[in-house]
Amino acid sequence: MSKTKKEKKVRVVSVGLGILIFVLAFGAGVVSKVAIKPAWAQKYAVTWSDELGTLKSDLPYGEGEANRFDLYLPKDGTKDSYGLVVYLHAGGFTSGDKADDRSTLAWLCGKGYVAAGINYTLRTEEHPEASVLSQSNEIKAAVPKVIEAAEAAGYHIDKMAMAGGSAGHALAMIYAYRDGKDAPVPVVFTYGAVGPSSFVAEDWGIFGLGQDTEESRQAGAGLFSVMSGKEITPEEIKDGSYREKVHEIAAAEWVENNPIPTVVAYGALDKVQPFLASLRLEEALKENGVDYKYFVLEHSGHGLQNDSAVSKLWMEAIDEYLAKYMPVK
Amino acid sequence: MSITAKRIIIIAIIMVVAFVLGRLAVRAGMNLLLGGTLFGGDFL
Repeated sequence: MSKTKKEKKVRVVSVGLGILIFVLAFGAGVVSKVAIKPAWAQKYAVTWSDELGTLKSDLPYGEGEANRFDLYLPKDGTKDSYGLVVYLHAGGFTSGDKADDRSTLAWLCGKGYVAAGINYTLRTEEHPEASVLSQSNEIKAAVPKVIEAAEAAGYHIDKMAMAGGSAGHALAMIYAYRDGKDAPVPVVFTYGAVGPSSFVAEDWGIFGLGQDTEESRQAGAGLFSVMSGKEITPEEIKDGSYREKVHEIAAAEWVENNPIPTVVAYGALDKVQPFLASLRLEEALKENGVDYKYFVLEHSGHGLQNDSAVSKLWMEAIDEYLAKYMPVK
Repeated sequence: MSITAKRIIIIAIIMVVAFVLGRLAVRAGMNLLLGGTLFGGDFL
Protein backbone atom coordinates (compact mmCIF):
# COMPACT_ATOMS: atom_id res chain seq x y z
CA MET A 1 0.00 0.00 0.00
CA SER A 2 1.40 3.42 -0.94
CA LYS A 3 2.13 6.04 1.73
CA THR A 4 -0.66 8.31 0.41
CA LYS A 5 -3.23 5.51 0.61
CA LYS A 6 -2.12 4.71 4.16
CA GLU A 7 -2.49 8.33 5.25
CA LYS A 8 -5.95 8.50 3.66
CA LYS A 9 -7.03 5.35 5.49
CA VAL A 10 -5.75 6.71 8.83
CA ARG A 11 -7.66 9.97 8.23
CA VAL A 12 -10.92 8.13 7.41
CA VAL A 13 -10.60 5.98 10.54
CA SER A 14 -9.86 9.07 12.69
CA VAL A 15 -12.87 10.99 11.34
CA GLY A 16 -15.10 7.93 11.78
CA LEU A 17 -13.88 7.48 15.35
CA GLY A 18 -14.50 11.17 16.04
CA ILE A 19 -18.07 10.90 14.75
CA LEU A 20 -18.70 7.76 16.81
CA ILE A 21 -17.36 9.41 19.96
CA PHE A 22 -19.50 12.51 19.27
CA VAL A 23 -22.66 10.41 18.89
CA LEU A 24 -21.95 8.40 22.04
CA ALA A 25 -21.16 11.48 24.14
CA PHE A 26 -24.24 13.28 22.75
CA GLY A 27 -26.37 10.28 23.76
CA ALA A 28 -24.78 10.27 27.21
CA GLY A 29 -25.66 13.98 27.55
CA VAL A 30 -29.28 13.28 26.59
CA VAL A 31 -29.56 10.38 29.02
CA SER A 32 -27.92 12.35 31.84
CA LYS A 33 -30.39 15.19 31.35
CA VAL A 34 -33.46 12.94 31.21
CA ALA A 35 -32.61 10.28 33.75
CA ILE A 36 -30.51 11.92 36.43
CA LYS A 37 -32.51 14.05 38.83
CA PRO A 38 -30.92 16.55 41.22
CA ALA A 39 -29.75 14.97 44.47
CA TRP A 40 -32.20 17.05 46.53
CA ALA A 41 -35.20 15.76 44.51
CA GLN A 42 -34.53 12.12 45.34
CA LYS A 43 -35.75 12.74 48.90
CA TYR A 44 -39.26 13.46 47.59
CA ALA A 45 -39.56 10.47 45.28
CA VAL A 46 -39.54 7.20 47.18
CA THR A 47 -39.78 3.71 45.73
CA TRP A 48 -42.81 2.00 47.20
CA SER A 49 -42.21 -1.11 49.29
CA ASP A 50 -44.10 -3.02 51.96
CA GLU A 51 -41.61 -1.57 54.45
CA LEU A 52 -43.47 1.75 54.12
CA GLY A 53 -46.94 0.38 54.81
CA THR A 54 -49.91 -1.13 53.03
CA LEU A 55 -51.16 -0.23 49.57
CA LYS A 56 -54.81 -0.84 48.78
CA SER A 57 -55.27 -0.45 45.04
CA ASP A 58 -58.26 0.38 42.84
CA LEU A 59 -60.84 0.88 45.57
CA PRO A 60 -64.11 2.05 43.99
CA TYR A 61 -65.85 5.31 44.82
CA GLY A 62 -68.47 5.46 42.08
CA GLU A 63 -70.02 3.70 39.13
CA GLY A 64 -67.61 5.00 36.48
CA GLU A 65 -64.79 2.85 35.19
CA ALA A 66 -62.27 5.47 36.30
CA ASN A 67 -63.83 5.96 39.72
CA ARG A 68 -61.04 4.21 41.60
CA PHE A 69 -58.48 5.28 44.14
CA ASP A 70 -55.30 3.89 45.69
CA LEU A 71 -54.88 4.17 49.44
CA TYR A 72 -51.44 4.19 51.05
CA LEU A 73 -51.57 3.34 54.75
CA PRO A 74 -48.43 3.96 56.83
CA LYS A 75 -46.68 1.10 58.57
CA ASP A 76 -47.41 2.42 62.05
CA GLY A 77 -51.16 1.96 62.46
CA THR A 78 -51.22 2.56 66.22
CA LYS A 79 -51.80 6.32 66.31
CA ASP A 80 -55.06 7.93 67.43
CA SER A 81 -55.43 9.91 64.22
CA TYR A 82 -53.76 10.59 60.90
CA GLY A 83 -53.55 13.35 58.35
CA LEU A 84 -54.67 12.45 54.83
CA VAL A 85 -52.93 13.81 51.74
CA VAL A 86 -54.77 13.40 48.45
CA TYR A 87 -52.53 13.80 45.42
CA LEU A 88 -54.23 14.10 42.00
CA HIS A 89 -52.41 13.14 38.84
CA ALA A 90 -51.47 15.39 35.91
CA GLY A 91 -52.34 14.84 32.26
CA GLY A 92 -54.21 17.82 30.87
CA PHE A 93 -57.59 16.42 32.01
CA THR A 94 -57.30 13.91 29.13
CA SER A 95 -54.65 11.42 30.24
CA GLY A 96 -52.63 10.19 33.23
CA ASP A 97 -53.22 7.78 36.08
CA LYS A 98 -52.91 7.68 39.85
CA ALA A 99 -50.05 5.19 39.46
CA ASP A 100 -47.97 7.98 37.85
CA ASP A 101 -47.54 9.54 41.29
CA ARG A 102 -46.60 6.39 43.18
CA SER A 103 -43.21 7.76 44.25
CA THR A 104 -44.77 10.97 45.60
CA LEU A 105 -47.51 9.06 47.42
CA ALA A 106 -44.88 6.68 48.81
CA TRP A 107 -42.91 9.67 50.12
CA LEU A 108 -46.02 11.01 51.87
CA CYS A 109 -46.87 7.61 53.32
CA GLY A 110 -43.29 7.21 54.48
CA LYS A 111 -43.64 10.48 56.38
CA GLY A 112 -46.56 8.99 58.30
CA TYR A 113 -49.56 10.30 56.34
CA VAL A 114 -52.38 8.30 54.89
CA ALA A 115 -52.01 9.12 51.19
CA ALA A 116 -54.42 8.66 48.31
CA GLY A 117 -54.23 8.93 44.55
CA ILE A 118 -57.63 9.29 42.89
CA ASN A 119 -58.47 8.63 39.25
CA TYR A 120 -61.19 10.62 37.53
CA THR A 121 -63.00 10.24 34.21
CA LEU A 122 -60.73 11.69 31.56
CA ARG A 123 -61.98 13.61 28.57
CA THR A 124 -61.41 11.10 25.76
CA GLU A 125 -63.26 9.84 22.68
CA GLU A 126 -65.16 7.43 24.95
CA HIS A 127 -66.00 10.22 27.37
CA PRO A 128 -66.52 13.43 25.38
CA GLU A 129 -68.89 14.59 28.12
CA ALA A 130 -66.09 14.75 30.72
CA SER A 131 -65.02 18.24 31.72
CA VAL A 132 -63.06 19.93 34.49
CA LEU A 133 -66.41 20.46 36.21
CA SER A 134 -67.43 16.78 36.06
CA GLN A 135 -63.94 15.76 37.17
CA SER A 136 -64.04 18.16 40.13
CA ASN A 137 -67.41 16.73 41.12
CA GLU A 138 -65.99 13.21 40.95
CA ILE A 139 -63.18 14.24 43.30
CA LYS A 140 -65.78 15.75 45.62
CA ALA A 141 -67.63 12.42 45.65
CA ALA A 142 -64.43 10.45 46.13
CA VAL A 143 -62.99 12.18 49.22
CA PRO A 144 -65.62 10.86 51.71
CA LYS A 145 -65.08 7.33 50.31
CA VAL A 146 -61.32 7.67 50.74
CA ILE A 147 -61.80 8.67 54.36
CA GLU A 148 -64.31 5.84 54.91
CA ALA A 149 -61.81 3.33 53.51
CA ALA A 150 -59.04 4.66 55.76
CA GLU A 151 -61.32 4.50 58.80
CA ALA A 152 -62.39 0.96 57.89
CA ALA A 153 -58.71 -0.02 57.84
CA GLY A 154 -58.28 1.42 61.34
CA TYR A 155 -56.75 4.76 60.43
CA HIS A 156 -58.79 7.61 61.87
CA ILE A 157 -58.48 10.74 59.71
CA ASP A 158 -58.75 14.08 61.52
CA LYS A 159 -57.56 16.52 58.81
CA MET A 160 -56.46 16.53 55.21
CA ALA A 161 -54.46 18.27 52.51
CA MET A 162 -55.22 18.44 48.77
CA ALA A 163 -52.42 18.38 46.24
CA GLY A 164 -51.65 17.62 42.64
CA GLY A 165 -49.73 18.44 39.52
CA SER A 166 -51.01 20.46 36.55
CA ALA A 167 -54.57 19.26 35.84
CA GLY A 168 -54.49 17.45 39.18
CA HIS A 169 -53.38 20.66 40.85
CA ALA A 170 -56.35 22.49 39.31
CA LEU A 171 -58.73 19.85 40.67
CA ALA A 172 -57.01 19.86 44.06
CA MET A 173 -57.42 23.64 44.34
CA ILE A 174 -61.08 23.47 43.27
CA TYR A 175 -61.76 20.94 46.00
CA ALA A 176 -59.74 22.84 48.61
CA TYR A 177 -61.28 26.27 48.02
CA ARG A 178 -64.73 25.46 46.57
CA ASP A 179 -65.65 22.21 48.33
CA GLY A 180 -63.32 22.22 51.32
CA LYS A 181 -65.91 23.52 53.74
CA ASP A 182 -68.14 20.51 52.96
CA ALA A 183 -65.36 17.99 53.41
CA PRO A 184 -65.81 15.28 56.07
CA VAL A 185 -62.65 16.54 57.83
CA PRO A 186 -61.04 19.99 57.75
CA VAL A 187 -58.95 20.69 54.65
CA VAL A 188 -55.99 22.49 56.17
CA PHE A 189 -53.52 22.86 53.32
CA THR A 190 -53.24 22.69 49.55
CA TYR A 191 -50.17 22.51 47.37
CA GLY A 192 -49.14 21.79 43.84
CA ALA A 193 -47.75 23.21 40.65
CA VAL A 194 -48.82 24.64 37.30
CA GLY A 195 -52.55 24.07 37.78
CA PRO A 196 -54.87 26.45 35.93
CA SER A 197 -56.91 28.31 38.50
CA SER A 198 -58.52 31.06 36.45
CA PHE A 199 -60.29 31.23 33.08
CA VAL A 200 -60.23 34.81 31.89
CA ALA A 201 -59.86 34.95 28.09
CA GLU A 202 -57.32 37.79 28.20
CA ASP A 203 -54.93 35.61 30.21
CA TRP A 204 -55.07 32.74 27.72
CA GLY A 205 -53.22 34.48 24.91
CA ILE A 206 -50.93 31.45 24.50
CA PHE A 207 -53.93 29.78 22.82
CA GLY A 208 -54.88 32.83 20.78
CA LEU A 209 -57.63 33.94 23.15
CA GLY A 210 -58.32 37.45 24.35
CA GLN A 211 -57.99 39.17 20.99
CA ASP A 212 -60.71 41.33 19.50
CA THR A 213 -61.41 39.00 16.59
CA GLU A 214 -64.19 36.53 15.82
CA GLU A 215 -61.63 33.73 15.46
CA SER A 216 -60.24 34.41 18.93
CA ARG A 217 -63.71 34.51 20.47
CA GLN A 218 -64.61 31.23 18.78
CA ALA A 219 -61.43 29.64 20.09
CA GLY A 220 -62.24 30.93 23.59
CA ALA A 221 -65.81 29.65 23.40
CA GLY A 222 -64.58 26.23 22.28
CA LEU A 223 -61.87 25.87 24.91
CA PHE A 224 -63.90 27.15 27.83
CA SER A 225 -66.98 25.11 26.81
CA VAL A 226 -64.90 21.96 26.90
CA MET A 227 -63.36 22.84 30.26
CA SER A 228 -66.51 24.06 31.98
CA GLY A 229 -68.81 21.42 30.51
CA LYS A 230 -71.23 24.20 29.60
CA GLU A 231 -72.10 25.68 26.21
CA ILE A 232 -70.32 29.00 25.85
CA THR A 233 -70.83 31.13 22.74
CA PRO A 234 -68.46 33.65 21.08
CA GLU A 235 -71.00 36.33 22.02
CA GLU A 236 -70.65 35.41 25.69
CA ILE A 237 -66.89 35.67 25.31
CA LYS A 238 -67.37 39.13 23.83
CA ASP A 239 -69.71 40.47 26.50
CA GLY A 240 -67.92 38.74 29.38
CA SER A 241 -70.92 36.73 30.57
CA TYR A 242 -68.92 33.50 30.08
CA ARG A 243 -67.23 34.26 33.40
CA GLU A 244 -70.30 33.01 35.26
CA LYS A 245 -70.10 29.70 33.40
CA VAL A 246 -66.43 29.09 34.20
CA HIS A 247 -66.79 30.28 37.79
CA GLU A 248 -67.32 26.79 39.20
CA ILE A 249 -63.94 25.59 37.88
CA ALA A 250 -61.99 28.78 38.57
CA ALA A 251 -60.28 27.92 41.86
CA ALA A 252 -58.84 31.42 42.28
CA GLU A 253 -62.39 32.78 42.50
CA TRP A 254 -63.16 30.45 45.42
CA VAL A 255 -60.22 31.24 47.67
CA GLU A 256 -62.34 33.53 49.85
CA ASN A 257 -64.72 30.61 50.46
CA ASN A 258 -62.03 28.58 52.22
CA PRO A 259 -58.79 30.58 52.49
CA ILE A 260 -56.45 27.80 53.58
CA PRO A 261 -52.64 27.74 53.57
CA THR A 262 -51.28 27.25 50.08
CA VAL A 263 -47.96 26.50 48.42
CA VAL A 264 -47.80 26.72 44.62
CA ALA A 265 -45.22 26.94 41.85
CA TYR A 266 -45.62 28.24 38.29
CA GLY A 267 -43.34 28.58 35.29
CA ALA A 268 -43.18 32.14 33.96
CA LEU A 269 -42.80 30.85 30.38
CA ASP A 270 -45.49 28.17 30.55
CA LYS A 271 -46.95 27.29 27.12
CA VAL A 272 -49.63 24.96 28.48
CA GLN A 273 -51.13 26.84 31.40
CA PRO A 274 -50.93 30.62 31.10
CA PHE A 275 -48.71 32.19 33.72
CA LEU A 276 -50.97 35.28 33.71
CA ALA A 277 -53.81 33.17 35.12
CA SER A 278 -51.66 32.22 38.09
CA LEU A 279 -51.17 35.91 38.93
CA ARG A 280 -54.92 36.07 39.64
CA LEU A 281 -54.48 33.20 42.07
CA GLU A 282 -51.71 35.02 43.88
CA GLU A 283 -53.84 38.16 44.03
CA ALA A 284 -56.71 36.17 45.58
CA LEU A 285 -54.38 34.55 48.11
CA LYS A 286 -53.00 37.95 49.08
CA GLU A 287 -56.43 39.64 49.28
CA ASN A 288 -57.80 36.91 51.51
CA GLY A 289 -54.91 36.94 53.96
CA VAL A 290 -53.90 33.38 53.18
CA ASP A 291 -50.65 32.02 54.59
CA TYR A 292 -49.17 31.17 51.19
CA LYS A 293 -45.98 30.73 49.23
CA TYR A 294 -46.03 31.38 45.51
CA PHE A 295 -42.91 30.37 43.62
CA VAL A 296 -42.18 31.66 40.13
CA LEU A 297 -39.71 29.73 38.03
CA GLU A 298 -38.55 32.51 35.73
CA HIS A 299 -36.78 30.37 33.13
CA SER A 300 -39.19 27.44 33.06
CA GLY A 301 -42.38 26.35 31.40
CA HIS A 302 -45.02 23.79 32.33
CA GLY A 303 -42.42 21.21 33.40
CA LEU A 304 -40.71 23.58 35.88
CA GLN A 305 -37.65 22.16 34.17
CA ASN A 306 -35.02 24.91 34.20
CA ASP A 307 -34.97 26.25 37.75
CA SER A 308 -33.86 23.48 40.03
CA ALA A 309 -32.89 25.87 42.84
CA VAL A 310 -36.43 27.32 43.01
CA SER A 311 -38.00 23.88 42.72
CA LYS A 312 -35.96 22.86 45.76
CA LEU A 313 -37.29 25.83 47.74
CA TRP A 314 -40.83 24.96 46.63
CA MET A 315 -40.54 21.36 47.88
CA GLU A 316 -38.95 22.53 51.12
CA ALA A 317 -41.91 24.90 51.61
CA ILE A 318 -44.33 21.99 51.08
CA ASP A 319 -42.46 20.00 53.71
CA GLU A 320 -42.52 22.99 56.06
CA TYR A 321 -46.27 23.63 55.60
CA LEU A 322 -47.13 19.94 56.02
CA ALA A 323 -45.21 19.94 59.32
CA LYS A 324 -46.86 23.19 60.40
CA TYR A 325 -50.49 22.53 59.47
CA MET A 326 -50.68 18.75 59.52
CA PRO A 327 -47.91 17.53 61.81
CA VAL A 328 -47.40 13.79 62.08
CA LYS A 329 -48.19 12.96 65.67
CA MET B 1 3.44 17.45 21.37
CA SER B 2 3.13 13.97 19.90
CA ILE B 3 0.38 13.10 17.41
CA THR B 4 -1.17 10.70 19.99
CA ALA B 5 -1.42 13.45 22.62
CA LYS B 6 -3.06 15.74 20.05
CA ARG B 7 -5.59 13.05 19.18
CA ILE B 8 -6.45 12.49 22.85
CA ILE B 9 -7.03 16.22 23.35
CA ILE B 10 -9.25 16.40 20.24
CA ILE B 11 -11.27 13.38 21.39
CA ALA B 12 -11.69 14.90 24.86
CA ILE B 13 -12.93 18.17 23.34
CA ILE B 14 -15.36 16.29 21.08
CA MET B 15 -16.70 14.34 24.08
CA VAL B 16 -17.27 17.43 26.22
CA VAL B 17 -18.88 19.42 23.40
CA ALA B 18 -21.14 16.51 22.39
CA PHE B 19 -22.17 15.85 26.01
CA VAL B 20 -23.08 19.51 26.51
CA LEU B 21 -24.96 19.61 23.19
CA GLY B 22 -26.88 16.47 24.21
CA ARG B 23 -28.07 18.14 27.41
CA LEU B 24 -28.87 21.37 25.60
CA ALA B 25 -30.86 19.46 22.96
CA VAL B 26 -33.09 17.97 25.67
CA ARG B 27 -33.55 21.36 27.29
CA ALA B 28 -34.35 22.96 23.92
CA GLY B 29 -36.84 20.21 23.10
CA MET B 30 -38.59 20.54 26.45
CA ASN B 31 -38.66 24.32 26.14
CA LEU B 32 -40.28 23.96 22.74
CA LEU B 33 -43.00 21.70 24.13
CA LEU B 34 -43.57 23.19 27.56
CA GLY B 35 -42.14 26.69 27.42
CA GLY B 36 -38.84 27.87 28.83
CA THR B 37 -35.56 29.44 27.83
CA LEU B 38 -32.04 28.20 27.16
CA PHE B 39 -30.60 31.18 28.99
CA GLY B 40 -30.47 31.40 32.75
CA GLY B 41 -31.70 29.05 35.41
CA ASP B 42 -29.95 25.72 35.78
CA PHE B 43 -26.44 25.34 34.43
CA LEU B 44 -27.10 23.33 31.23
